[in-house]
Amino acid sequence: MRLKCAEKLAALCLSAAMAVSVSACSGGNMYASSNDSSSIADNDVITIGSVTTNSGSAAAYGESEVNGFRLAIKEINENGGIFGKQVRLESMDDKGDVIEASNAFNRLAGEKNVIAVLGPTISSTSGAVAPLADQNQMPSIAPAATADSVETGGYLFRTCFKDSYQGQIAAKYAAENLKVNKVAVLYGTGDPYSSGVGKAFVAAAKKAGLQVVAEENSSSTDDTEYSSQLQKIEASGAEFLYAPYYYSAVGPYIVPQARAVGYDGYIMGPDGYDGLKTTGNKARYDKVLYTTHYSPDDKSNKKVQQFIKSYKDANDGESPNTFTALGYDSVYMFKQAIEQAGENATRADIRNAIAGMHFSGVTGEFTLDKQGSPEEIGHRAGDEERLADLQRHHPTGQVGRIP
Amino acid sequence: MGDQIIMFISQIFNGLKIGSVYSLVALGYTMVYGIIRLINFAHGDFIMVGSYVLMLTIPFIIACGLPAWLAVVPAILVCVAVGVIVEKAAYKPVREKGNNMTALITAIAMSLLLENGSQAIFGADYQTVPTIIQIPTLALGGLKIDGATILTVLLGLVIMVALQLFVKYTKQGKAMRAVSEDKEASILMGVNVNSTITLTFAIGSGLAAVASLMYCVSYPQVSPMMGAMLGLKAFVAAVLGGIGSIPGAMVGGLVIGVVESLTKAYIGTITAGVITSAFSDAIVFGILIIVLLVKPSGLMGEPESEKV
Repeated sequence: MRLKCAEKLAALCLSAAMAVSVSACSGGNMYASSNDSSSIADNDVITIGSVTTNSGSAAAYGESEVNGFRLAIKEINENGGIFGKQVRLESMDDKGDVIEASNAFNRLAGEKNVIAVLGPTISSTSGAVAPLADQNQMPSIAPAATADSVETGGYLFRTCFKDSYQGQIAAKYAAENLKVNKVAVLYGTGDPYSSGVGKAFVAAAKKAGLQVVAEENSSSTDDTEYSSQLQKIEASGAEFLYAPYYYSAVGPYIVPQARAVGYDGYIMGPDGYDGLKTTGNKARYDKVLYTTHYSPDDKSNKKVQQFIKSYKDANDGESPNTFTALGYDSVYMFKQAIEQAGENATRADIRNAIAGMHFSGVTGEFTLDKQGSPEEIGHRAGDEERLADLQRHHPTGQVGRIP
Repeated sequence: MGDQIIMFISQIFNGLKIGSVYSLVALGYTMVYGIIRLINFAHGDFIMVGSYVLMLTIPFIIACGLPAWLAVVPAILVCVAVGVIVEKAAYKPVREKGNNMTALITAIAMSLLLENGSQAIFGADYQTVPTIIQIPTLALGGLKIDGATILTVLLGLVIMVALQLFVKYTKQGKAMRAVSEDKEASILMGVNVNSTITLTFAIGSGLAAVASLMYCVSYPQVSPMMGAMLGLKAFVAAVLGGIGSIPGAMVGGLVIGVVESLTKAYIGTITAGVITSAFSDAIVFGILIIVLLVKPSGLMGEPESEKV
């Protein structure tokens, strides 16, 4: 019986191996990219793929990123391309779904002429794509995947800062700039972004000597009613509320409901607040702050005003948001890396050029970590310097206010 | 101690705020289910359609110098049109050829069609609804009560009574009850079943437009997916109250809202932090299961007597 089992297992393994080899053949050069060094010299145009969320609940982020990609590529092409070659974008939609993102990424990786990939948009899909990027040796930049759990440093990099960093900045800002003592936190436990940032804030706040008087949760970040939790926060005597949610919950629900239950202290959150639209009485949003990658009010950085102007010209006067800015910078990061890697740059060359690069764009100036070693994966050596740098640029300390 | 009592009452009103919206939505569910035994899963998406109409027409209404809430009139017209078209184009052919299950699947398909269709038209981004009415907050000592909550509860009660009277005493209402009891027999009695069902859908969809008005007063934001969770919660409210029963929908909605609010407020303290406020949905659905185990027909549903 045992033998039979072993035999069956062996047969199963064999058939599985065959299936893998068959699919490897039929799936184009899915695993072949390591042997086959396709370089930008092979084609007349440079094709950059993108995997973004263009439909579903996070579609607004993906669409903004793609707008940023298109603007940057248009500018690059108008200025003579990269090494005289025009850049082309092959954009794919992952619907915010892990499987769709993996399939789209593998398809792009299988296409010889695709030299690099922009995306994915959100943290969950980026986390799924990270090992695929390493496996296919496909240099990729996720513009806005902020979750700490996304394993960057191999072939996947990011333009944004990490979630834990946002929580720390907020705690620091509350203690040093706002000089509050009693803080409260409200986050959605069902959402890794919300709970990740929220927990990082609590840890950092305690370290900074702040008193965490209330820690409330919601089951999801799609809830419309937060009055019960906010009422408790109000009763706890908090002067500062950290509420890491998306703009879609903060603008119409959390801020008005907090004011309705009588809470009139600060409300602060992470980059998800970007794109927030105020409803009703604007005065309710006076003490709402958020950490951001990009500030349109940054007058000291010439690139920012230039970017806003060219985006508005290309999009009927519409203003770009953080995701557009991150997408825009991601394209320029690839441009810088390709130019550094040379006219015969392969995917691996581009990856090596990105690792450790120093970059200056509309989202600020930063240095990427050089090492992709497991312990340091995802670590950004530049984080501390970047904060200092951004504080120099933004008198408010990299904190956005609701316009 | 006084503070604790005020806190408790405030939390009940927080629950009534969302609960009253659930009630309005649940009335639409129960209306359609009571007549044709179809759970119209697209009902939540009718609310979405109504909300988009409100968002688009409010600026015009204000420009005409009329109060913004009158935007509910075009919203009702559009929702009724959408409801009747959905019924004629999708549910009726399926109802005639298939069974209850095929109709249910068609309802889910319609829901997806409306969600993705509006995403194609309006885009996936969230959009804010202009302020509809400014209702002052009532302050009784330390207690603050949102005026919109009171208005929504009152509106729900008025609609509930009106529907009950309509179904009990008008000719069309009697026809509805007849169709709900026995379709074949009512045909023999000279009831026009098709027009009765169409009327039911028209009323259900019109209610969706009214619900979308009150929803947008409290939660001024629209997105293509907004109807999905709202519809689900309201469906649970209708089942809890006894689906098919008009007062049941009202009670079910309010109960769900208050339970949600009280669990969010007190579950952490009661269980010493083991169960947090994040579990409120799980507790609401858990209570639904318990109620259905004890009383399968729901709180107000009476299996023997007639429904709607």
